Amino acid sequence: MSQRPVWAWLAVLVLAVLVLSACAAPAAPQAETGGGAAPEEVAPAEAPGPEEAQAEPIRIGGIHPLTGGLAADGIQMDNAIRMAIQELNEAGGVLGGRTFEYLSADSTGSAEVGQTEAERLVNQGAVALICCFQSSVTSNVAAIAERSSVPLVIDVAVADAILQQGYRYVFRLQPNATAMGVYGAQYLRELADALGATVQTAAYMYDGTTGYGDSVRAAFARKAPEVGIELVAEVGYDPFGVADLTTELTRIDQLAPDVLLVTGYYNDGLLIARNAEDVDLDVKLVYGVAQGTYDQPQFVEDAGDLAECFLDSNYHWDASNPKALAVREKFQQQYGEPMRTSAVLAYQAMYIIADAIQRAGSAEPTAIRDALATTDYADHILPYPGPIQFDEAGENINARPVVMQVQDGRVVQVWPPAVAEAEPRMCVSWKQ
Amino acid sequence: MNHRQRLLQDYARLAAVALPLLAVPFLVDPFLVSLAILTLYWAYLGNAWNIMGGYAGQFSFGHAMFYGIGAYTSTMLLLRFQVSPWLGMLAGAGLAALFGAGAGYLLFRFGVRGHFFALGTFALAEMLRLIAAETEFINRSIGVHIPLIRGDSWWRLQFERTQGNYYFVILGLFVLGMAVTIGLHRSHLGAYFQAIRENEEAAAALGVDVLRYKVYAVALSAALTAMGGSFFAQYFLFIDPTLAFGVSVSVQILLRPIVGGVGTVWGPLVGALLLTPLAELTRAFVRTPPPSLEFLRGRSGVDVMIYGALLILVILFIPDGLVGAGRRLWGRLSPGPRGGRRPS
Repeated sequence: MSQRPVWAWLAVLVLAVLVLSACAAPAAPQAETGGGAAPEEVAPAEAPGPEEAQAEPIRIGGIHPLTGGLAADGIQMDNAIRMAIQELNEAGGVLGGRTFEYLSADSTGSAEVGQTEAERLVNQGAVALICCFQSSVTSNVAAIAERSSVPLVIDVAVADAILQQGYRYVFRLQPNATAMGVYGAQYLRELADALGATVQTAAYMYDGTTGYGDSVRAAFARKAPEVGIELVAEVGYDPFGVADLTTELTRIDQLAPDVLLVTGYYNDGLLIARNAEDVDLDVKLVYGVAQGTYDQPQFVEDAGDLAECFLDSNYHWDASNPKALAVREKFQQQYGEPMRTSAVLAYQAMYIIADAIQRAGSAEPTAIRDALATTDYADHILPYPGPIQFDEAGENINARPVVMQVQDGRVVQVWPPAVAEAEPRMCVSWKQ
Repeated sequence: MNHRQRLLQDYARLAAVALPLLAVPFLVDPFLVSLAILTLYWAYLGNAWNIMGGYAGQFSFGHAMFYGIGAYTSTMLLLRFQVSPWLGMLAGAGLAALFGAGAGYLLFRFGVRGHFFALGTFALAEMLRLIAAETEFINRSIGVHIPLIRGDSWWRLQFERTQGNYYFVILGLFVLGMAVTIGLHRSHLGAYFQAIRENEEAAAALGVDVLRYKVYAVALSAALTAMGGSFFAQYFLFIDPTLAFGVSVSVQILLRPIVGGVGTVWGPLVGALLLTPLAELTRAFVRTPPPSLEFLRGRSGVDVMIYGALLILVILFIPDGLVGAGRRLWGRLSPGPRGGRRPS
């Protein structure tokens, strides 16, 4: 009996963890579907026989974190796929009038749930999947897709290793970790030269927990010597547990690097910005490498004047493409929030699949896979220097990040020049 | 009924539960098989936790440490040395038992008990997670993929998912774990564990070597947990420090036995049978609610709330778990000699 209080107490702790993870969801603004005519979500309990499929709608599955700490992105991505499907269906569908039906799934941010949901979707007749936002979940879902011979288009997930397993059914739209790190380093060099700045040393702060920060940092570090940048400090931190980084930044300040590099998620990026101001960090530039904060309009709202000058080399929609602007405008009207890059990629992924089905002349998973492999899609809304094409491994060969900067309260593309909206500036907000 | 008869009776019960389960993959569709795999997997892990947390009364809030050791050991042996995951599973079990015995010895030796012991185990698991995230050999925080092979291989412990092989593996592990618990339940060792749980000082006064048996409990529980970790790695084909050593692993492992009944033979299974499908059912419920609750359709998060609310109700109103509540009910209905000999 003497043990009762111990585990009663711990049970409360366990519940606290559960409740916290549940509460994180309402914090993310849930899109109200009342305003827009979101397509019906139909999830039949019985899997349809593939033979009776002629008149059946084509089922596409999407798996994203709709609850938990990443729900803000996940819900947008889910809605973006709905919007794409709605447009495709209104335009008459594919294959002479067959429409799409969306099967939505919540990964809850957990690899285990993501995997069982992927199995459920395949079992319910999804002929292609779009997922996942997180590398760990994607790794598991990719294995399911490959095992089930159902094509998977990854909208967002950065880890290189996902496509180094020899998978045939998995394709990725966004730049992988290597592309993020390598182009991040190259663009930094080009930017510095264009601005006439001496950039020789840099300190790197990165998410050392989820594999995301670490993989991008490693790629950057490999490329750095080639472009004449020496990393004088590499500091990993836990993006979801960190509350203060002034100690780390003070240490970095003493090393006097030219640039502060950051790879991580939204809240920790914001914390670094605030702490850098607190310690009056003496750098010439703050440059995010695939950073989840410094290219978000939300950052300008949260940080105000402090947000000025922050640079981020990250995936993005093509802000110089009117079609991209129209899509984002429509999304904002329909769902009441500015459309994030992750949602743009999810939207694009749906169109890539529709294109493949149209070219395949069939909605059989294997035929879709073969058509995806020969994708040559130029009409996209991403800032890539060429059409969307996949290599042997399934990587989008033209996927590139772009460099964005907060200028006068707006996030604008500044590099490379082909997609730039404005000239880059060399400044640090707390020194102005 | 003498001791041997009771033991046989318990094993007969286990067989009566397990044999019909063999038919599951032949009867239901593949999605339900994967649900059944997860249910048995959590029952297995809950059972492993229960040996230490339930029988010996050493509440662990950091079982992920053993789980992660198992997952990484079999995976790295497979990737670097082409060792079969079956052998890797045993190696992981051995390593986890050693680690558990060492860690347990240190904690017990310095009198860390109760809440503080639980926090100590939590800290150890977090420590391993951070070390793993900084260790180059296991690819830091990026994680490790197990290469997909075509077709089935018992040697590589990798199968087509739509078939029942994974199911049979976890069913086998589950039966093994349950057999260990039943043997323990009816043995001197188990009696020592329970004596320590009820009152350490009294047990010591009666001549039980408290430190030694507590360390045994940790090692046994650790070894079984590690085997579950190896199974997870082979089933999911990817692990990283958070999946292996994360807090949510520790929490998930102890939820089932708490809900089912701490320190009972069948508690972890009952808890897993309730919680695993419950999570799935609440998700399905929100996807296609009955017409009267149409407003719930597609509301992400509602499933987590329902799940959480049910958990709170169970823990508030039946703190001794479903098995304990069932016993109390049974005892009230048929007062008699049965009540007396049941443990806790």
